[in-house]
Amino acid sequence: MSHLAYLDAGSGSLIVQAVVGGVAGAAVAAKLYWRRLVDRFRRQPTDHR
Amino acid sequence: MAISPAGVRPEPGSFRDPANRVFHVGDDVLRGLDAQAAEHWRALAGTEFFTSLLAAGKVCGTESVEPARVPGDTRWATVLRHERIPFVSHPYEWSFGMLRDAALLHLEILRAALPAGFTTKDGSAYNLQWRGSEPVFIDVGSFEPVRDGEPWAGYRQFCQTMLYPLLLTAHLGVDFQPWLRARVDGIEADAVRPLFRGFRRLLPGVPAHLHLHAAMQNRHAEATTTDVRAQLRAAGYSRELALATVRGIEKLVRRLDRPPAASHWADYQRTCGYSEQDRAGKEQFVTVALADGHRPRLVLDLGANDGRYARLAARYADQVVAVEQDPAVVDTLYRALRAEGERRILPLVMDLADPSPGGGWRGVERASFADRAGADVVLALAVVHHLAIGRNVPLPEVVAWLADLCAPGARIVVEFVHPEDPMARRLLANKPEGLFPDYRRAEFERLLAQRCHIARREELPSGTRTLYTAVVGG
Repeated sequence: MSHLAYLDAGSGSLIVQAVVGGVAGAAVAAKLYWRRLVDRFRRQPTDHR
Repeated sequence: MAISPAGVRPEPGSFRDPANRVFHVGDDVLRGLDAQAAEHWRALAGTEFFTSLLAAGKVCGTESVEPARVPGDTRWATVLRHERIPFVSHPYEWSFGMLRDAALLHLEILRAALPAGFTTKDGSAYNLQWRGSEPVFIDVGSFEPVRDGEPWAGYRQFCQTMLYPLLLTAHLGVDFQPWLRARVDGIEADAVRPLFRGFRRLLPGVPAHLHLHAAMQNRHAEATTTDVRAQLRAAGYSRELALATVRGIEKLVRRLDRPPAASHWADYQRTCGYSEQDRAGKEQFVTVALADGHRPRLVLDLGANDGRYARLAARYADQVVAVEQDPAVVDTLYRALRAEGERRILPLVMDLADPSPGGGWRGVERASFADRAGADVVLALAVVHHLAIGRNVPLPEVVAWLADLCAPGARIVVEFVHPEDPMARRLLANKPEGLFPDYRRAEFERLLAQRCHIARREELPSGTRTLYTAVVGG
């Protein structure tokens, strides 16, 4: 299905909804940040620009 | 239903979502849907949650119409016809209780939609309107199938147009109306954060929905929403989580109540006191003016106070818009009307000397009060002296303004408070002597007769107030 959202939902506004969503939401947010962190380290060895 | 090709008028407030658009054709309110929106509509129309919301009147009445085209525009795959909202109002004209009830309805609708696999694309206060004191969700084009693993796209808009205004009034006692009127997209988090410092940081809703939200917005300003959606999905954001968040916001909004102080109301009634005889005479006069002639579709009660005359008018009219400047007075009236289930009186907050101007894109996206008026009856009771003396509006301007709010052939029921009346004397005492030489009954009558036919005139028993029924253009 193509994406119909005409509105810019705001990246921070999307993430904060996970953070405020109780324990389960905070776990999702933590996982998101963890993955970002891991991705950054993984990318680093090839990123010589 | 056949649609005439003539007179298609696109609604100036409906252009943000290119997938659908509202049009006026005669008295009909139509919505064109593109191919994908039409597909979503068909799925939506078959769901139980949507049909029960429609049956309960929480979503505005909607049906498909044939032929499925807005004349002269072949873009639309399907055309819907909506129930007509008696008087379109803007959130900056609502009282605190109205904005709160509108927010609760928006959240209730979202909470019903999510388990059925739908969401709303946006979260704007402009998605809601009123049938009297009953809120109604009008943006049927906002429903779309929910994609699992995605938070609510309308959350930021909800915060800006509903939650932050409610926080301002509930926690700080600051009237939100001027803030919303000044910003068509609502109040940005960074604009209100400075007001919630110190211990106020900890007030309900403030730490998460205001401070953390703003910090996250600033921190993730560079990330695209497409990437963030994918990351949240991969991290396990679920529909249940989305539902839990909506429930949490709903619980918060319920906590954010701030009923107007009872003393404020009592003071108000005391200061606008009339003698029993005057009140009875005035009620009799207004009743006759309303009951005579054809049944009015729209009555504007300007300076409605406690709504006494709006209630009287509602007996003889389809819809009464009760305009009052004091937000606390409007809120008290709204709460009473809502408790009674009154669907013919819409109370609004507005300063008559500074009525809502046109707003948004090109100044027409949100229609001005004057453009929405077109009343069949205008009640201007005990209001002319406030404008002419209190606000220095020249008397000819006041009369012209009243006539301009009317549809052709409409009636104006207006009270002229003589300069000798105690209320007028009190106002005059605040201005240099001799500032308003034209403020005389004879002059008022002459000006009224220039624009209208004076059908009835009656002096109240106190002898310091005169009532007129004037037919515009008569």
